[in-house]
Amino acid sequence: MITQHPPNDDDLSRHVIRVEGVYKSYGRGAGCTPVLSGVDLLVQRGECVYLAGPSGSGKTTLLSILGCILSADHGSVMILDQDLAQLRPRARAILRRDRIGFVFQRFHLIHGLTAQDNVAVPLTLRGTPARTSRRRALEMLEAVGLADKVKVHPKQLSAGQCQRVALARALVGDPELILADEPTASLDAINGPEVMSLLLRLTTAQGKTAVVVTHDQRIFRFADRVLWLENGRIVETVQPASPQPALLQTATLQPQHAGMI
Amino acid sequence: MWSIALKTLIADRGKLLTALVGVLFSVALVNVQGGLFFGLIRKAGMLVDCGQADIWVGHRKMHNVDLPRDIPQRWLDRVRTVPGVKRAEPYIVGVASMTLPSGGYEDVEVVGVEPGSLLGNAWNLTQGTPDCILQSDGIVIDECEYEKLERPQIGDLRELGGRRARVVGTSRGIMGFLIMPYVFTTLERAKAYLHKRDDVCSYFLVQTEPGADAETVCTAIRQRVPELDSYPREQYSQISKNYWMTRTGLGISFGAATLLGLLVGLIVVAQTLYALVLDRLGEFGTLKAIGASERQIYAILLVQAMSMAVVGAVLGLAVVAIIQYAYHTPMAPIVIARWLSWGSCGLVLLICLVASALPYLRIRKLDPLMVLQS
Repeated sequence: MITQHPPNDDDLSRHVIRVEGVYKSYGRGAGCTPVLSGVDLLVQRGECVYLAGPSGSGKTTLLSILGCILSADHGSVMILDQDLAQLRPRARAILRRDRIGFVFQRFHLIHGLTAQDNVAVPLTLRGTPARTSRRRALEMLEAVGLADKVKVHPKQLSAGQCQRVALARALVGDPELILADEPTASLDAINGPEVMSLLLRLTTAQGKTAVVVTHDQRIFRFADRVLWLENGRIVETVQPASPQPALLQTATLQPQHAGMI
Repeated sequence: MWSIALKTLIADRGKLLTALVGVLFSVALVNVQGGLFFGLIRKAGMLVDCGQADIWVGHRKMHNVDLPRDIPQRWLDRVRTVPGVKRAEPYIVGVASMTLPSGGYEDVEVVGVEPGSLLGNAWNLTQGTPDCILQSDGIVIDECEYEKLERPQIGDLRELGGRRARVVGTSRGIMGFLIMPYVFTTLERAKAYLHKRDDVCSYFLVQTEPGADAETVCTAIRQRVPELDSYPREQYSQISKNYWMTRTGLGISFGAATLLGLLVGLIVVAQTLYALVLDRLGEFGTLKAIGASERQIYAILLVQAMSMAVVGAVLGLAVVAIIQYAYHTPMAPIVIARWLSWGSCGLVLLICLVASALPYLRIRKLDPLMVLQS
């Protein structure tokens, strides 16, 4: 369940995410608050990994670092064979645009655009011709079951439908890595698992890698691994197949569980 | 980028409308203010512009067609002998007092025309013929000045400079920069109304031979009669306009009002764009998070600003055309030159370009991390 030994070269070539000894803190001087304290993480291609843990444990910060939105203070972060420390802001933006898809907790759709236009945004940013973008967006909306909402604006959609549009937007550019931040937090008991089921189907079917930050225990069953973070460290890895992860009940853990996950 | 920029702009109709009103207001204000200014200042050179003379010859340092100084009429023969001069005629302009039927009086600008050639005579006649001033005591007045002169009719008598004058014709739209109405009559009668000596006049109006260069003829006239100044029509018209622009501060006051209009437009557009961005910070954060470059973000703002500028300017010009159609009169002419319209549109585009920089600076500081912290 927990990998204690360092990976060999063959393992590394298959890894979409390689994080070693990452530290991150907010603030300076006496007000400095450590958020990540030596995180190590390996995620293989095609894997669906969930980051779980109590509030303030560093889940979103780790996801932001993986998404090239935030920089680590110390440590090495390799995403899709790119060393983030070596990338300039423009190159990071291009990496995000071309190879990473984002799903946000509050959808973050653009209200002035229709569902189809929203989905087409990443392709528009890449400079894809409008006709191609719109066709691809239509295909994605069909894939998430919203073929009848193509011309509808976000304000006229339900929360579940908005998240499906956001999911389509994340996937339309055929990214290798999907990063989702609490994707079911704004959804009800029916829509949450449905969206995650859709995400899993659309990512694993095409060999994409997904990292999902979540509190939602209802969706743990969709993960290949659930990594439990506490106090800025990954303290346990749980296989969802197991009956009920102990940490989900007690949230207490022995320090020696941490390591290269 | 175009579609994202335009669709998000149109989606917020309230702010779009506010910005369009701002641009429209700016363009309309600049054009109407400018049009009124040029209409007003055009009056200062109207006598020159429409006087049929190619060259105006007058006293040294002459600076205003309506306020001339006497010159000896005997020098006319010297002017007539200058090569390139086809015709030169004396012309007189001066102020006399007209007694009105009510017992009141009105100062008028008497213009005396040489009766043989009628060079510099009244134009746009609505009643009477060009040679009607040859009739006994005949004067031509402008119908726009009816109220000042207590509505004279054809054949009505007035006392002008203590002498009898009879209205024999009317024109429309001959109004000077001074508030005094123009009264056209013959040269000799004008001298009598103005109590001038017979041997003086105000100007020599010159028509040049076909193909002759007015500037060259002017130089020759100055050499032949060094006591006088001479200018081509366009130049003397501009000198007369400059007189009022520079000596009255008219240009500065109109310019300041116009600048104020532009400034208001700039503030409205900048404020609206900024508010538009503040309302949609999350959306710009999302765009940055999913990989939009700084250039793409600025392109969105630029397209939005330019769209507002173009649509607002077109609407503004339409409003200006309506105002011009409805309110242009000889008393308050609105003369809008093409360069003024294009110039104001160009300025508004420039202003919108500058205005788009303000929200851009805000977005540049925007951390895409915000979308993950909501």
